[in-house]
Amino acid sequence: MKRDLTQALARWISQGRRQIGEVLFLPTDHGFLVHHHLDSPSADLEPHTDPNAARRIAVADASGEFRPIKTTPNLRRGWLLKLPDITALRTALEALYPAMLGSFLSFERGELPGVHLRETVGRQSGMYAITKKVTDNQALAVIARNCNSEHGCLKAHLWQIDPTTPVSSLPASKTDPSIPQLPGSAPFLPLLCAEACNLLVAKFREEIKKTPYTPPPADAAPTAAPPHP
Amino acid sequence: MTPKPHSALIIVGHGSTTNPDSSTPSFEHAESLVRRGLFGDVQCVFWKEEPSMRQALHLVDQDDIYIVPNFISEGYFTRTVIPRELELTGPLTQRAGRTLKYCEPVGNHERMTELLLRRAAEVAPGVDPQKTSLLIVGHGTNLNDNSAFAAKREVDRIAASGIYAQVLSTFMEEEPLIAKWDELTTQPNVVVVPFFISDGLHSYQDIPVLLGIEQEPTAAASQRSVFRDNPRHMRGRTLYYASAVGTEPLFAEVILDQITAFDLAHPALP
Ligand code: SF4
Repeated sequence: MKRDLTQALARWISQGRRQIGEVLFLPTDHGFLVHHHLDSPSADLEPHTDPNAARRIAVADASGEFRPIKTTPNLRRGWLLKLPDITALRTALEALYPAMLGSFLSFERGELPGVHLRETVGRQSGMYAITKKVTDNQALAVIARNCNSEHGCLKAHLWQIDPTTPVSSLPASKTDPSIPQLPGSAPFLPLLCAEACNLLVAKFREEIKKTPYTPPPADAAPTAAPPHP
Repeated sequence: MTPKPHSALIIVGHGSTTNPDSSTPSFEHAESLVRRGLFGDVQCVFWKEEPSMRQALHLVDQDDIYIVPNFISEGYFTRTVIPRELELTGPLTQRAGRTLKYCEPVGNHERMTELLLRRAAEVAPGVDPQKTSLLIVGHGTNLNDNSAFAAKREVDRIAASGIYAQVLSTFMEEEPLIAKWDELTTQPNVVVVPFFISDGLHSYQDIPVLLGIEQEPTAAASQRSVFRDNPRHMRGRTLYYASAVGTEPLFAEVILDQITAFDLAHPALP
């Protein structure tokens, strides 16, 4: 069947879903209200009617720090989007949580296969080629630090280290899209991570580069050069 | 361009994990193209930001998809990274009932010359080009792209037009060095246009320091205000410093031009 993301969003709303990540979206007589889940629409919030304002809201956290990953649980508060229709709602939610509506639709359609970490690092080139060398232990530590739902990232993992090695450094709930990564969520649209993002891949590179190089034992065959000068 | 309501446009940018201004021009060009209503959908994807290239096909409903790299030249990204991440097999990829049309990078289009001239004229209004040296600044020594080649090509085209008394390509890290701008130029007015797709560390900090208009990278230099203090009178010249050519709103037009060029090169397609 043909994809229709706007129609899918309408269906999700009719199912009673009202939250995505840290954001609530509420149907009203005049369209939709969208705001941070910790804010109340009756409070004194900075109002917007342009759905593209959502992109500027999501750019930086409350302290002005740039948010390269929009699913990090540090969306700033204090704003209210008053949107006329579902098209505007789709634009706003896509800006607040890039690619998340479409990923969920693909997931429902069976078109969002998880890509395991070994495959993701295996295809890297250039400055990221070195990430092929990440060990399982290094990977598990870096993933726990960056992907954890408390302060790292609210997406649910659809991937493992490889088909038989789960990400044991995070709770099992991290891989269950039916469980909200943000406790106490209203009926929600899941945030899905189909494969390690570039930011995580870059963290592997940092980790590998900072791990001191241990020379091979003296009786080992000589190697050309340290793997990471 | 005739509207393509059944096609989607995906603009591919580099993005940054630290600087929001890296992706801003791509988003702004996309917003302006959405307002024009020419496509069923217009989206941006990035290498280092969200949405990512890997998520591109989940973003759009359409089966006919134009992919335009918002890059200044051909290079490692357009030839290796984008095709790999989007699983493209060539200019035309058919996959799972979808047609992916991979266009040339924006910077390759011949209208880039017009945009550079426009940016140069905007930053120095009323200044006689016949008494002006125009410097196009590229990165240089970057193995990842052919931006130095592209910058030289643009300079040749502008020089051939005879509009400016002097036109030079300069680089941050290779000769001719932008740091020697006063030695390189012959005219009383000097206009400097960064040949980059977006503003960022290079245009906010590195080039201003090399020009001598900022002493050291400072907080102030990281703001767009660095472009507002034109002109500066220094080293016996009048210096005008423009923001990156990629922030020019007309870039959106060039994205459309690359789609038209793709269609012309592949006429058998629907
Ligand atoms: S890899 Fe996925 S879960 Fe981890 S930080 Fe990146 S997007 Fe979030």
